[in-house]
Amino acid sequence: MKTASPKHATAAETFVRDEENTDWHNETLWFVRSKRDRAAQTIPEWEALREQASQIKNHALSNLDNYLIQLEENARRNGITVHWAANGDEHNQIVYDILRKHNATKIVKSKSMLTEECHLNPFLIKQGIEVIDTDLGERIIQLREEPPSHIVMPAIHLKKKHIGDLFHKHLGTDAGADDPQYLTEAARIHLRQKFLMADVAITGVNFAVAETGGFVVCTNEGNADLGVHLSKVHIACMGIEKVIPKAEHLGVFLRLLARSATGQAITTFSSHFQKPAPGQEMHLVLVDNGRTRQLASPDFRNSLKCIRCAACMNTCPVYRRSGGHSYHSAVAGPIGSILAPNIDMNEYADLPFASTLCGSCSNVCPVKIDIHQQLYKWRQVLGAAGAVEPAKKVGMAGMDALFSRPWLYRFAGRAGRWLMQTFPSLANKPGLNPWAIHRDMPQPPEQSFRDWYAQQNKKTNG
Amino acid sequence: MAETSTRDTILAAIRRGKPDLLPLPDPIGFPPNITPDNLVESFMTMVKTNGGRAIRVSSMDEAKAFLATDYDLSLPVLSHVPGLDISNFTPAEELRLLDTLHLVVLEGIVGVAENAAIWVDEAAMGIRVLPFITLNLSIVISEKNLVGNMHEAYPRIDTSVGFGTFIAGPSKTADIEQSLVIGAHGSKTLTVFIME
Repeated sequence: MKTASPKHATAAETFVRDEENTDWHNETLWFVRSKRDRAAQTIPEWEALREQASQIKNHALSNLDNYLIQLEENARRNGITVHWAANGDEHNQIVYDILRKHNATKIVKSKSMLTEECHLNPFLIKQGIEVIDTDLGERIIQLREEPPSHIVMPAIHLKKKHIGDLFHKHLGTDAGADDPQYLTEAARIHLRQKFLMADVAITGVNFAVAETGGFVVCTNEGNADLGVHLSKVHIACMGIEKVIPKAEHLGVFLRLLARSATGQAITTFSSHFQKPAPGQEMHLVLVDNGRTRQLASPDFRNSLKCIRCAACMNTCPVYRRSGGHSYHSAVAGPIGSILAPNIDMNEYADLPFASTLCGSCSNVCPVKIDIHQQLYKWRQVLGAAGAVEPAKKVGMAGMDALFSRPWLYRFAGRAGRWLMQTFPSLANKPGLNPWAIHRDMPQPPEQSFRDWYAQQNKKTNG
Repeated sequence: MAETSTRDTILAAIRRGKPDLLPLPDPIGFPPNITPDNLVESFMTMVKTNGGRAIRVSSMDEAKAFLATDYDLSLPVLSHVPGLDISNFTPAEELRLLDTLHLVVLEGIVGVAENAAIWVDEAAMGIRVLPFITLNLSIVISEKNLVGNMHEAYPRIDTSVGFGTFIAGPSKTADIEQSLVIGAHGSKTLTVFIME
């Protein structure tokens, strides 16, 4: 197995070089986190609600096959065509076949992390199809030819000046204009034309309901609905873990989702799609892409409960100060770091280490995923598989030797204090000591705690 | 039949990998934190928080008067609310022509006081795209159709209907530097009438 390159650390280093932008990013996401806190505090039963959501998801995963069969049956009865895809390639091919059947060349798409995970857009564009992302944030990054840096706020890494310049170039807005109201209006006019001309609408799925054979899509902008209701064909793409048993369970999740995501009481539109409109065609694509593998792992299966609210990202001290792109994966942040290694252990071996294991992610997760514990467990898996970078491995072996031999520990402490006192510049050289990158080493104490304690004992007893 | 085999492969992998059956919580949901005599007030506060406008009225004429003051009713207007006859627009089959709609008025079926989400379904919309394509949206809801929270809403809505949506305010976005802008792709304003 190849060992992990410190991709996240390297990319984060570039991100933090712009100190002003890093501070802004950090504070903005923390602001969203505080809005989430205020929204949660308006619900006295918040913790019990999280517990219920967690249990519903645990139950659904423990009976996933039957709920998927029920969903398929009821969806077909409703007139929805159901497809199954083992991986991203199959998913993309299914979508492409539907488009070809309808000679569709113009597609409008609302946010779907699944299609991001499957790299649907590049695939379709290669086939000569126009794919327009219609969520404002997604349209912005699409015009910049970048991936999203956040699953709820895809363009959160950009300042309005960047967006003003971008829209000036692509949408003909005034040069230098960066008023969010003005830019949003320009995007509305531009995208309205795309909605009106689209052949097919593609959406994600927030929740699919086995009992009704329908699914729910949540947006604030109304872009999913405008696309779907104006198109002859609606293709909805979902990971197989998105199914819940009953419509009444939606009450639990819809109370949690927007409050956890943005601090809103609920998204502006929570649309329940059950049957195609007269003359319309509706498709539902169920995608595995590693999810059954994750389900089979007791340590990691409960990551499949995720409802993609991004609360774990907004609260994460590492995410806030390293930016979503540093995670080089469709889903960034703490949850992305436990989902991505399951899809490709080599490619994403660095991500479980992009964490302080502080546990804040687990504390805000509306479905109680033990994110920080899974980050820790992934480190063990990656270590055993030899995917940990050599410097880290040598360091860990060294610490193991040190901490399991008290005499060596005492000696090393004395030697270290002597070294730092005698050659302070050496200890602060980033080339020799990676800890000294961005940090100064502290003043070494005169004596160790152990020596001091022994001295105190002598004083008291003597 | 490649798809059939993919389906079976996925289902077999789930059966192999899933944990033993875990129980569903019982009961689902919680009693509302809003008392019945606070429903209207809480609902109206949340409509405003969501960026909409809430007006309590006692008759359709009163609602009509408000709309006539705030909107140019000579522009394309479509009302699907019985007793509120301000329609001057006949929708053609071609949905794209609905793009000119200035105001759409619909009847809300259930309103949730905790978040001011209003359930509107296909029967109330007639055409699914109406509440999204119009520049301005108004919803009329009867006071007796307000409930405390989402758990109370679900038993009162017909989830077998082809399409339905909870609408909580005008469309909005904060995708540019987290600055809230009202009026993303859907309606730019929402006026909610609470009928006594």
